[in-house]
Amino acid sequence: MTEAAAQTLDAATDEPPLPKRSALTDMLGELADLWRVTLDTLFYTFNHKREKGAVITQCYAIGNRSLFFMVVTMGFIGAIVVYQIGIQTARIIPDMSLVGATYVKLLIRDLAASVGAMPLATRVGAGIAAEIGSMVVTEQTDALRMSAADPVDYLVVPRFLASVLMGTSILLIGGAVAYFAGMLICNLSFDVNPYVYMNFSMVTSGDCILGFIKCLVYGGTIALVSSQRGLRTFGGSEGVGRATTEAVVGSLFAIITLNLIMSTIGNFLLPA
Amino acid sequence: MNAALNIPYRMGAALLLIADQTGGIAIMAGQVVRRLVPPRIDRYELFRNAYRMGVQSVPIIAATAGFTGALMVIQGAPIVERYNARNIIGWSAMFTTFRELGPLLIALMFNGRVGANNTAELGTMVVTEQIDGLRALAIDPITYLVVPRYLSIAIMMTALVIIGDFVAILGAMGMAWGILDVWPRQFYYSAMPMLQTWDFSVGVIKGFFYGNMIALTSCYFGLSTRGGAPGVGRSVNASVVAAASGVFIVDYLSTFILH
Repeated sequence: MTEAAAQTLDAATDEPPLPKRSALTDMLGELADLWRVTLDTLFYTFNHKREKGAVITQCYAIGNRSLFFMVVTMGFIGAIVVYQIGIQTARIIPDMSLVGATYVKLLIRDLAASVGAMPLATRVGAGIAAEIGSMVVTEQTDALRMSAADPVDYLVVPRFLASVLMGTSILLIGGAVAYFAGMLICNLSFDVNPYVYMNFSMVTSGDCILGFIKCLVYGGTIALVSSQRGLRTFGGSEGVGRATTEAVVGSLFAIITLNLIMSTIGNFLLPA
Repeated sequence: MNAALNIPYRMGAALLLIADQTGGIAIMAGQVVRRLVPPRIDRYELFRNAYRMGVQSVPIIAATAGFTGALMVIQGAPIVERYNARNIIGWSAMFTTFRELGPLLIALMFNGRVGANNTAELGTMVVTEQIDGLRALAIDPITYLVVPRYLSIAIMMTALVIIGDFVAILGAMGMAWGILDVWPRQFYYSAMPMLQTWDFSVGVIKGFFYGNMIALTSCYFGLSTRGGAPGVGRSVNASVVAAASGVFIVDYLSTFILH
């Protein structure tokens, strides 16, 4: 590069090409983009032939390879939550017989899905964004567009389907693991017999429906937010790192926000 | 035949990898502590990192914590309504948020935002040979790069837990007012006598431990990056996952130690 060209480039990069944007307009732009990716994904999910085996490959990458991590994490979470409920109960009433019943209600209604979705988002979201992001910076997505294949159709839809399917299964497995880890801690720390612990009398069908909807929504959200971040990667390998970070933060934030919305609505529509 | 033989092989390889990484993180902890004994800290780097990592994370951490407080009220609402125990909602929501969920969710968010970014930054420095450049100038990368990052992550994580706890109280108050008709004043005066200072301190101490975990893990994975630009992506990914598992393990241990 000649010196003159370098100077022009410097001048070009020194001054931002667009008028200064605020954090709010940035966020709204990102949300609009996310909405567009969501609509595209849903459109192609129902309207297009997919590459054979793509969904299965993604299911393996998203589901099976996260299973060990999720089982360990949810085991720890279950143990911790039961312990906290136990010491909280001990401060009001010394009766530990309802710890299991309260815990399983809380687990089904909220914790198995929402707390479990956080480690899942960390793992799956970072993976999806890094993968799609490297494809974008190495111009593989442009090659796809050249071949008349929409990257949303070709890359996002299999990940979305796999994430909904495997995310839900993994969250359900994680919930079961958390339940049994809680049983162990309850027995060891508070001397609660497993028969007393296994009390499902407080669980209603509304709890199960709400929990299941949450699992499905989180699975889809993780894939969509991370794919959108991945597709908008720019700026070489540093950009991939940035996209990964934003994907994890964005999915976690989306999960927390959606949880608040779904729990508030669920509190009125599917009362406990 | 291969599939059957592969399972023990892969289990062993995974275990060796975990042992390798745990050992690497422990060695890095030792190196950092060694450089803190007579403290030699690059003050400019420390303040720059503390601002970037801590101050700029405040909005997202505050939002997370506020939502967590509100969620705990929603989850407690059915039980409270059933037993008509409105004067317990403040305490039950705050107890769980302070001791457990607040620090945990803040740590996960902080890990995604700061830990991943930190790994990416150090990893890029490694693959562009900037670390070797520092060594050639007789500047110790641990003193110059890792110690300020470690200190600012650990201190800022603790500070963010304190800020987050405050915002969580506001979130819980608002939600209790909205769905349970518990006025903020009633919420406050019902929660405060039953909450102990220790409940609050447990969360803050946990926050400090999580900060240590995130700092050491992200610096270790950043500095051990290999294999060019794709390697940075790989190590960011591995770092986020490892730090998240580390946070859960630290959480489990500290819950039982600090009960």
